[in-house]
Amino acid sequence: MENNLFLLEMIRSELSEIVGPDFVSVAESDKFIYSTDWAWMPQMWLDRGMQLRPPDYIVHPGSAEEISEILEVANKYRIPVIPWGGGSGTQGGALPIFGGILIDMKRMDKIITVDEKSLTVTAQAGIIIAQLEWALNEKGFMLPHYAASSNCATLGGALAPRGTGTLSTKYGKAEDMVLSMQIVLPTGEIIRTPPVPKHAAGPDWFRLFLGAEGNFGIITEATMQLDYLPEARLMRAVLFDDLNKALEVGRLIMTHRLNPLVIRLYDRESTVSQVKKVLGYEYDGAYMVMGFDGDPEIAALQEKKALEYCQQLGGRDLGRDPGDAWWEHRYDFYYPPKSLKLPWMYGTTETVTTFDKIANLYWAEKKAVEEGFADWNVKFIAHFSHWFHWGVMVYSRFIIEEPPQDAQEALRLHNRVWNAAMQAVMANGGMINEHHGVGLKLSRYMRKQYGEAWPLLLKIKKTIDPNGIMNPGKTGFGF
Amino acid sequence: MNEHKIMQSQNATATIENCRYCLMCRHVCPVGHVSRRETLTPHGWGLTIASIPRGLLAWNQDTLDVLYSCADCGTCRAHCVTDQPLPDAIAATRAEVAAQSLAPSTAYEVHKAIQEWSNPYEKHVPETVKGQAEIALFVGDDAQYLWPAALKSALKLLDTAGVKPVLIGIGRSNGYLASSLGFPETAKMLVQATLNELKASGARRMLVLTPGDYYAFTSLLTERLEGEWPLGVEIQEVMSLLDKKFSTGVLKFKPSDDKKPYAYIDPTHSLRIPARYDAPRRLLVGAMSTSGQELFWRKERAHPCGNGALQFMNPHISDHLTYARLADAQQAGAQIVVTEDPGCLSHLNRHADRFGLHIQGLYELLDEHLL
Repeated sequence: MENNLFLLEMIRSELSEIVGPDFVSVAESDKFIYSTDWAWMPQMWLDRGMQLRPPDYIVHPGSAEEISEILEVANKYRIPVIPWGGGSGTQGGALPIFGGILIDMKRMDKIITVDEKSLTVTAQAGIIIAQLEWALNEKGFMLPHYAASSNCATLGGALAPRGTGTLSTKYGKAEDMVLSMQIVLPTGEIIRTPPVPKHAAGPDWFRLFLGAEGNFGIITEATMQLDYLPEARLMRAVLFDDLNKALEVGRLIMTHRLNPLVIRLYDRESTVSQVKKVLGYEYDGAYMVMGFDGDPEIAALQEKKALEYCQQLGGRDLGRDPGDAWWEHRYDFYYPPKSLKLPWMYGTTETVTTFDKIANLYWAEKKAVEEGFADWNVKFIAHFSHWFHWGVMVYSRFIIEEPPQDAQEALRLHNRVWNAAMQAVMANGGMINEHHGVGLKLSRYMRKQYGEAWPLLLKIKKTIDPNGIMNPGKTGFGF
Repeated sequence: MNEHKIMQSQNATATIENCRYCLMCRHVCPVGHVSRRETLTPHGWGLTIASIPRGLLAWNQDTLDVLYSCADCGTCRAHCVTDQPLPDAIAATRAEVAAQSLAPSTAYEVHKAIQEWSNPYEKHVPETVKGQAEIALFVGDDAQYLWPAALKSALKLLDTAGVKPVLIGIGRSNGYLASSLGFPETAKMLVQATLNELKASGARRMLVLTPGDYYAFTSLLTERLEGEWPLGVEIQEVMSLLDKKFSTGVLKFKPSDDKKPYAYIDPTHSLRIPARYDAPRRLLVGAMSTSGQELFWRKERAHPCGNGALQFMNPHISDHLTYARLADAQQAGAQIVVTEDPGCLSHLNRHADRFGLHIQGLYELLDEHLL
């Protein structure tokens, strides 16, 4: 369609009639900026002076009804539709790789209601999470989805890839906080999921839309569970010589339900590089931060019990200051030049598995990356940051400081490193990711990840999105 | 290029490289907030500028519109953990574009007016400084031409507080507008003219009416314009001085009987000045006897009011910034909107009726309630 100016203009007219001409852009500047999201691959591509496939239209709808009409147009002409929240995904999930209509949700940013009795907020999906949080804080509440991307990601963008925030260990993932959603299906119907998520009225179909990354429709509104702002938040840091013992402490804390809001355990390589760079601490070992919040007496008791486990397994209590400093600066890791940035090559091959497998998985992935790409002087760093009653997520990253300058060669190397990491992950019982989503980057692993179950997902996709217009090429689904 | 310019250019490039793929200040960018366009956010500006030398984009009407749509309000930098001076880098890029005769024609038209008249509003040259005093007050162009009542009342308040300043920079821009448009040499010329007047006045302290003026003679002067503030001379906001006089009982107010809810709007550039939020609020409570409604976009996240270069370069976005401030006040339940910056007052007043709001100058309000 790129070269069919006649058709482009015809469709633009239709889109303009739906949302108004001010809210449809075909400006080259907009098409260029929306051609990339926060994934390393497209950023590198542009960095090397190579163009990406832009969307044909950027549309800013103001309501679910308008989105429904846009999808009608897309189905009629068989045009791809790419939902766009903050564009902060790391997996290329919002890349318009086949062009089409990119729907930027940020005009739909209203808080509809705050239910102070049930502790819920209902908001449009295009609201930026940090702005929603400010508004809730003014009423004494919090939406405990404290993602590193909160400053830029939208509420819908937290739900679509099943995002996780810093406080997930106590408060859950974004998907655990959602009670109900309004969704525009690919075929244009506007539906609402049941008003509460816990019931026995048939299968839990509303979860189909969590993690679908726009493939099964566009989330336009969500009712989220809130919490009171905590009366106390106690942060603490502990240093371990032995990472495996630190992992065991984390397991004991979780399986004994001490309810930490966070356990952030950095491996030695991460401690001596990232923690030193951002927080300035020169610790040699595995640096662990843990926090407990809520009622001051209960939080203090939980912390005391957790510290006992640390002591039993050789952890050295560093006191409250290095814990508080981490809390205060926890997002500093993501601000350039402190963050990983070009011209480096890097990737976050984060994964999750059960406690019985986590140590083996970590060491296997580390070995696969470090030994497989020693010629590139690759670095492998990791932290364990989202803990469950049954297991933990490892946020593993590879870094190559001097990657190939040629864009195609760099992309091939990036994919090869990722392949090595994912093969090690899947061979050791891990999932291909815990919270960054699948997007374009992990799409090719979905069939292997799901095995015999994968055709079922394909059938669901075909049923819900018969023309295959929604975010094609992502989440394992083709075009 | 001289050494300083080379350094500035290198700094600008480093900033652009840092900001092009950073999204961490998206939530506070006022232009991004009203436009909802990814392109008009710090990331969008960074990536646009970074993509020109890479041959991915070229300067044309479309990309120049993008370049000139940043409000140069400093909100991104104020929220940046690594203090990236993106507004300075954007201004440096505008300067490069302007020097190559590529800037939008409006920029040259406004620049021509500033060069000729030292302000973009009226065809009057600045009045010359009269007399000498220990304290000078920089008047500027906004107070002279857009909202003169602020100056009149500020002088009365100062007089009551025992301060009799000599007026300097009457009708002259503080240099910010020229810098923001991409004409740093003109900005320097304007600042230097004021500094010459300051020197001639013999003053050891210069008062300014707005945070924008304070910013222009501090960070803008030293960081963007390679200038130096004269040694031994203090700069202070009038609001800060009045607050001190109020807290020590030198200034007293008769509290208002009017109980209409009001809201204070932190003027454009407020967040470029550390810890300046409380002084105007304390004075307002003194004069109104009640605390005002607080806006959502307040204090360290205060958005600009639509004044600055944007009013000329992109009036549509400028107007929407003004609407957003008024809508915020309306949603907070205010009926009266108070601020002290003449440029902000002028912009807010233009559109206040459609929001059912009354705009009130803070200096005038304090003046009215003087005991």
